[in-house]
Order: sequence, then structure tokens, then C-alpha cells
Amino acid sequence: MRGDKKTKLLAKQLFKLSLRDGQVSSEQVAGVLGYIEQAAPRHALALLKLYQQAIVTELAKSHARVEHAGPISAATLQLIASAMTKKYARPVTATPQPNPRLLAGLRVRIGSDLYESSVAGQLATLSHAV
Amino acid sequence: MSTVVEQIEQQIAKLSSKAIKKNTGTIRAVADGVAKLDGLSDVMYNEMVQFPGGAIGIALNLEADEVGCVVLGDVSQLKEGDEVQTTGKLLSVPVGRALLGRVVDALGRPVDGKGPIDSKEFYPVEKIAPGIMVRKSVNQPLFTGIMAIDSMIPIGRGQRELIIGDRGTGKTTICIDTIINQGRINKVGLASGDKSFRPVYSIYVAIGQKQSNVVRTIAALEAAGALEYTVIVAATAGDNPANQYLAPFSGASIGEWFMENGMDALIVYDDLSKHAVAYRQISLILKRPSGREAYPGDVFYLHSRLLERAARLDGKGSLTALPVIETQAGDVSAYIPTNVISITDGQIFLETDLFNQGIRPAVSVGLSVSRVGSSAQIKVTKQVGGKLKGELAQFRELAAFAQFGSDLDAKTKAQLERGSRIVELFKQPQLNPLSIELQAAILWALQKTYFDAIEVKNVVSAANSLKDYLTSRKDALLTKIRTEAKLSDEIEAGLKAAADEWKSTFAAQ
Repeated sequence: MRGDKKTKLLAKQLFKLSLRDGQVSSEQVAGVLGYIEQAAPRHALALLKLYQQAIVTELAKSHARVEHAGPISAATLQLIASAMTKKYARPVTATPQPNPRLLAGLRVRIGSDLYESSVAGQLATLSHAV
Repeated sequence: MSTVVEQIEQQIAKLSSKAIKKNTGTIRAVADGVAKLDGLSDVMYNEMVQFPGGAIGIALNLEADEVGCVVLGDVSQLKEGDEVQTTGKLLSVPVGRALLGRVVDALGRPVDGKGPIDSKEFYPVEKIAPGIMVRKSVNQPLFTGIMAIDSMIPIGRGQRELIIGDRGTGKTTICIDTIINQGRINKVGLASGDKSFRPVYSIYVAIGQKQSNVVRTIAALEAAGALEYTVIVAATAGDNPANQYLAPFSGASIGEWFMENGMDALIVYDDLSKHAVAYRQISLILKRPSGREAYPGDVFYLHSRLLERAARLDGKGSLTALPVIETQAGDVSAYIPTNVISITDGQIFLETDLFNQGIRPAVSVGLSVSRVGSSAQIKVTKQVGGKLKGELAQFRELAAFAQFGSDLDAKTKAQLERGSRIVELFKQPQLNPLSIELQAAILWALQKTYFDAIEVKNVVSAANSLKDYLTSRKDALLTKIRTEAKLSDEIEAGLKAAADEWKSTFAAQ
């Protein structure tokens, strides 16, 4: 259930209140959650789901998930984080996530963008091309 | 062997080690061929998106927090959470001569089991119609082979002529006859070696039809030898609404290739009522606001942007469109029929009453019109059939009056007699289009009162006898009519001699 128009609008407003300097602030989020608990608006469950979705999407924009096969150094992660920070013009953090299915190489996911540099990805492209 | 290895090495070399950027999203919900997606922040309107398992979709609704996408293909394999990627491409279909004689689906993939289509060019499915400056007025005829249409409601190359009527009144038959006629004309024209001859290639788009009907159509075209000049785009009733929605646009792209490469093409959309229903279904699932009869507000634009793609281009070719609309109980004032009537350059209205009276094709002369008019007729047709529409309209009026009174003056009686003979003469069996020279000869005989002495019930057999006589014995005269395209004194003399000879043989029978 995605909620009605009013719920969507309220979720959007609450999401805006959760930002400080364009970033999701944990204090602001705690404040918003406290308000929802107190006010108990209609369709509270749908509202919370919509709010959660918006926060998750926003957080994903500042978080690079680095999938890798084999070891990855902290320096590489730092390099990726700084490159992404420069590219997206906002602070981006990078966290590693092992994925042996990639065979070798990296796959970086940030927001809805995916940077594919793995052998599995290259093979998939090759199989599409042949 | 080494070349194969080299090819693979080249392919591998093409794959650079640089990271490839993709824009991705996840499936939030799938229902009735429509997927709601999260993510895809860079997706464009009408862009193709890649689903897992090879299915593709088109992004139709771009909203703040989700993307609405129609899925073309099997949706049963898709599930919530599956990853989707943008492709950066608009939906395209293969185009070119390689499609002639083939049956394809809405995406241009072959469905006739005759192997892959060797097509090197692709055209986007959605394309903006040609502008004003590149167009040329419609003045070249496109012969349907149906005497009632070619003589009274002429269709020109680049025109949009609507075929409208209730179910079972012969709408599809008119379209199939027209395609068959193009096949026959193409064969004769190409065999003649005339360099100025311009063949017409046909595209038949079946939308929401029963598969058995499509099979029957294919068989009819194949039997008539017209399939080799025809492309069939099939989005049958079993296909999902997205394919039915896209099929006419794909057909238009296939037709545009012929037009833009200096050739003439004819496209039949059979039918746009079902197309509107498929679009309504998609729009309702996408939660677009609904209007009259629950159709979305842009259903007019849906058909206008499709039909505007039919045109005659200056210095290039033409695309003639024959959209079909099915009415309910003859109501032409319903929403979709009035929309399409206002977009097209005329309509051929088929009446159930006429059909049931045995007048086939059941063309209603009063309600049918071609806004291009006689500029799309050759001179010979104008000479022999110029007054037919008026005479027939007068006949219908008088016939209504004649029912109330038995005492009629001689002039009225003569008009009624003549009108009933014209009606008989226009009766034509299906899948049997007539060449324009034969039509001209028969109408000339009508004009010169050769049928007046024949009883009304025998007019059809007399006309058939005249056709047989002319085709078997006066081939040179028919060829002359076709090539000169006007009634010269010499041709008239030839026709007179032939008609006199036929009359004596017919009277003797």
C-alpha cells in the first residue's frame, strides 16, 4: 500500500524536515518519528513506509556500496569515496561488500547508479554482444 | 579458424577495462503487464528498460518517487525486488525490404517461423510526423479495386481514409481487397518494365484480433500472391495490452521507411477501436486520470500522432493510412469514432442494413466521403463515373418516396431503374478487386445505357459476362485504357465496338 495523496504529501514534508544542510540528520529523523508517534496521523503505517523509502533513497545517494571479489584495501575504498564525493558534489562514504560471483573486479552502487568493472559484468556484456 | 579467433579477440578488445555506468532500479510491483519501479533516476520518457530474463519495457510514467513501465514480453518471470536497467535507447523496430512477406510482432520480431529477418536498419517506434514544408498535396490515386470506392470515394497516395462500420459489415474485407489489388498492380507494373511505375507496398497491422482471423488474412494474401509485397504486424487478442498499444506505431515506422526512401506504402490499422481499449487499459493501470468512457485525456493525441505520420513527402514517397473503426449499432457519434473521423481525410461508412440486403461492399454513399476528392482520380474514372455519386444519392431519395406512391412519372421511373442498376453493378464479391481499366470499361457501358435493357436481377451476371469478355478478348484495349488513363476517341470507338459485340453474344445466351 502506497498511501493516498495526502499521506504522500505529508511524507514528503516530513522528509524535508529530516534534512539539515542537504543531508539526512539523525536528530531531525528522531524528531520526526517522535512527532508521528505523538500525533498518530491517519494511515500512520503507510506514512512511515513512505517516509522510510524517502530516507533510504536519500541515504543511498551518499553511500557507495562497493561489491568486490577478492581482497580490497582501505586505500582503494578511500579512493572510491573521494572520487564519488567529487563526482556527485556531496560527501560520499564507501563500504565494502564481498561478492564472489563477480569473479574479479569491482561493482560500485550509489543511489540508482551502478558502476560495473567486474569480470562477471564484462562477460555478461560479451554474451549479449555475441 | 584463425579469423574466428581474431573476431573474438576484437570483440574482447572492444570491452575496455573502464567502468561502465548504468542506471538501475528495482521492481516494486508488477500487475497486468505494467511494472512500478523504484530508482531509475536517469530514465527518459519512452526509454527502453531492460528487465531480467530478456524482457524489455518502456517507461511511460515518470513520477517523483516511482517509474511506471509497460512490460513487453513475459511478465511471469518478474518478481518484486528484481533489478532493472536503463538502456539509453528508444524502442526501435527493424525496417526495410527484408520484412516484405513476413509476419512480425509489435517489436518487429518474426512470428511466422520463416527464420530471422535480415534487416540492417532500425527506426524508432515513436517518431514525430513530417512537418508542413516537406509535405506535398495528395493527387496520385491509390486504387482499391473496389468499384464503388474508386469511382465515388477515391483514395489518394498519402491520404488517411477511415473505414468505419459495425461488426461484420466487411471493413477488413475492403482492406484486404485493397492490399490484394496493390499486389496485382505491382506485378503488372513491374513486369511491364515501365520505369515511372511506383509500386505500393502494404503493411497490415492486426490489433487485438483473433489469431484465427490473422491466419485467414495471411492465407488470403498468400493465395492472391500479395503477401510478397506485404508486411503483417500482429498483436493479437492474446498479446498483452502493451504490445497491442505499440503495434500500430511499429507498423507506421515500417511504412515510414518506404516513404522516406522514395517508395509508396499503404498501412492498414485493423482496428483502432481495440487499440484505444488497450491504451485505456494501460492508462488505468498506470493510474492516469480517466475522462469520457474512462479513456485517458490523451486518447485523441494517441491517434492523431499516429495518423499524422501518413503523408506524401515532397521528393520522396508516400504513406497512405486506412484506419479501421468498429462502431456499436451504427453510432458514429461515439467518442473514438468522432475522434478518428475528425483526424482523417474522409471515411467509408459501411451499413449493416445494406450488408443484410446483399449489397456488398455495403458502402453508404451518403455518409461516405473522401476529402481529397477527384484530385486523386485518373481522368478516365472522372469521365465515366463523375456523376455516379449524385445519381445514386438521387436514387436513394426517390426510392424512399416511391414506397408511398404507385403512380410515378416516366422520368422518376427512369431514375429509379438506373439507380437500381448502379447498385447492382457495384456489387462485388470479396477478394476479387477489379483493375481500374476494367472498372472504367464497365462504367462506360453503364453510362452508354448498355445495361438499361437488361433486367435488374440480371445486371450482376451481365457485368460479369462483360468483364470476362473484355479480359479474354480485348486485352489490348484494356492495356490502352490503363496506359493512356483517359477516354480518347480511339478508345471510345474500341469500347463501343467491343460492347456491341458483347451485347449480341450476351443477348443470344
